[in-house]
Amino acid sequence: MAEFSLRIPAADWTRLRTHCAPSFRGRRDRETGAIGLLGKRTIAGNLRELIVAQMLWPGPGDVLAAPHSALTFTSRYLRRAHIAVRKAGLPGLVTFHTHPLAKSEVDFSWYDDEQDPLLLNNLQELWPGTLLSSVVLGEASQKGRLWRSPTQRLMASNLITIGESVRYLPLDGRPPKPAPDAAEIFDRASALTGSGALALLSRSTIAVVGASGTGSLVCELLARAGCKRILLIDHDFVKLVNLNRILYATSDDAVHHRPKAEVLKRGIEALGLGCEVVPIVGSILENAVLERLNEADLLFGCVDKDYPRMLLCKYAYQHTVPYIDVGAEIGGDKEGIVSADTRTNYVAPGRWCLRCTGLVSPRRLAFESLTAPERRRKIALGYSDDLMIRQPAVMDLNMRAASAGVMLLRHLLQPFLRTPVPVTLAENLVTYNLKPVASARNRNEACDICQVNPHAGFGDCGETIGLAPEVASALLAVDEEKSSGACFELQKR
Amino acid sequence: MQITTAKAEIEHLAASGTDVALATDGVQPYARVRGIEAPSPPWDRTKYDILIAIPIAYDLGTGLDGFYVALPYSFDSGEHNRVNGQVVTLDNHQWKAVSWHYPDGKEFRIGTDNIESHIIHCRGFFLARGAVNGRV
Repeated sequence: MAEFSLRIPAADWTRLRTHCAPSFRGRRDRETGAIGLLGKRTIAGNLRELIVAQMLWPGPGDVLAAPHSALTFTSRYLRRAHIAVRKAGLPGLVTFHTHPLAKSEVDFSWYDDEQDPLLLNNLQELWPGTLLSSVVLGEASQKGRLWRSPTQRLMASNLITIGESVRYLPLDGRPPKPAPDAAEIFDRASALTGSGALALLSRSTIAVVGASGTGSLVCELLARAGCKRILLIDHDFVKLVNLNRILYATSDDAVHHRPKAEVLKRGIEALGLGCEVVPIVGSILENAVLERLNEADLLFGCVDKDYPRMLLCKYAYQHTVPYIDVGAEIGGDKEGIVSADTRTNYVAPGRWCLRCTGLVSPRRLAFESLTAPERRRKIALGYSDDLMIRQPAVMDLNMRAASAGVMLLRHLLQPFLRTPVPVTLAENLVTYNLKPVASARNRNEACDICQVNPHAGFGDCGETIGLAPEVASALLAVDEEKSSGACFELQKR
Repeated sequence: MQITTAKAEIEHLAASGTDVALATDGVQPYARVRGIEAPSPPWDRTKYDILIAIPIAYDLGTGLDGFYVALPYSFDSGEHNRVNGQVVTLDNHQWKAVSWHYPDGKEFRIGTDNIESHIIHCRGFFLARGAVNGRV
């Protein structure tokens, strides 16, 4: 039987569990529940995951319940949810309800089995094609399923909560297995034990965007941590100037202009660690490439431009997918090196986007999203020289960034850090200063990417995020021009 | 992603009486604004057309900066020293880039400023401040 997963922002899951907690206070407590609106992630038209885009919390009289009696969502409440689904162009809705007597394992009742198809029938009469997912909550477990038609049912495998950590909760009605000891998150062998961070990695597909200095090292670390599959996205080819930092790239690759992603696939897969690398030789600016991220459970951004970073941000919020962005930068002036920085940012529902953190500069974003001729005219006017400066990059610094990023990933899958994940984890190697930045410098409570995103959780039902191929090519043309220039120029400060 | 925000702003402005339309050079979008008022003299006519380059990532929160003025033009019977950029041909017209930027501390504010406020900023070039700059 086909299976699917259900994604939900961690804050919504916590609130739902709090909302339903009264059901489990004693033997005579009544069922509780709520309805959510669903987004979806598909691969080649096939459903991969559902996303809880928004919870519609019940108001007074929306839910009817009595001790030892099944809960009823009133038609008014259901109609409100269904109208919201139709208005937003979403595929369907999800009902959550409790079974108060289910202390450990939980299952749907014969009443649920009878009522769900009837409800779906009603919804599909009003709006053909509506999907209905239902999740039943026990005190320590949950079970989920999806109805495509009154007779076609898919069972859910996992409920994935995305927030300060990434939790995979089984939706098979059984309580989650206890996590292994914290020390085991550094033991590759524990990937085989079936629980904990490494076990999750061994079942995950991680998209790494950027296969240059930092990206190649992130891939190496992921492979050695037991990651099952890496989607590796980069449009660029190996050049001689890259050989100081791209793992597995050889001078022969540079001479033959081999794609960075394919060179890295060759190197990683030769390790024999069982990690499959899927090279995607294309730009993340392109919508067709961006859509490939639907195969991924988590995103790693290893790019040096603001436009791809913002598209990844937008994707992360629209698809409720965690996104780790890492970077390294060397700054200097005529006197010499003034900074050698690495940085790690984590983007997820409830956290600030890279624009709000101040990492993405609107001015740089504007400049990067002009076509090559327009950019040239901008440069000719002056005032944009700083945006064209090429920064040096070295493997030793890239390693620090890649390492911090993958450590953060381990923490997300099995928390071990003693303080909350900062907005930015910044390291300055000139001063040997590691600084957790706790506040978002350009925070905007009305930010339409991370705070009031109208398409958060919509997945494929939200707006198109990437660019048409001809638009992406027009923007990338500038990079090609830059690549033929000198390699090392220090940033002016 | 399309430039939906810019399109919507231009449509709204056009509907409310501003003579503005979306133009493209290949895939690069511009807002073409007709009839920006200018005092004559020092300008050689009372209305100018301008072109504003719109970054493709405008929907993601970018600013706008500078503009192009339709050629030919003259200021004080000569050139304005800020009309010093390159020339682009669009819609069978030639346009020259104007170095007209937001002052430090008064930059384009994301979420507050938009194409309409940028047109007002550009209009300032043809009025007193621009004229002062042109005679420096």
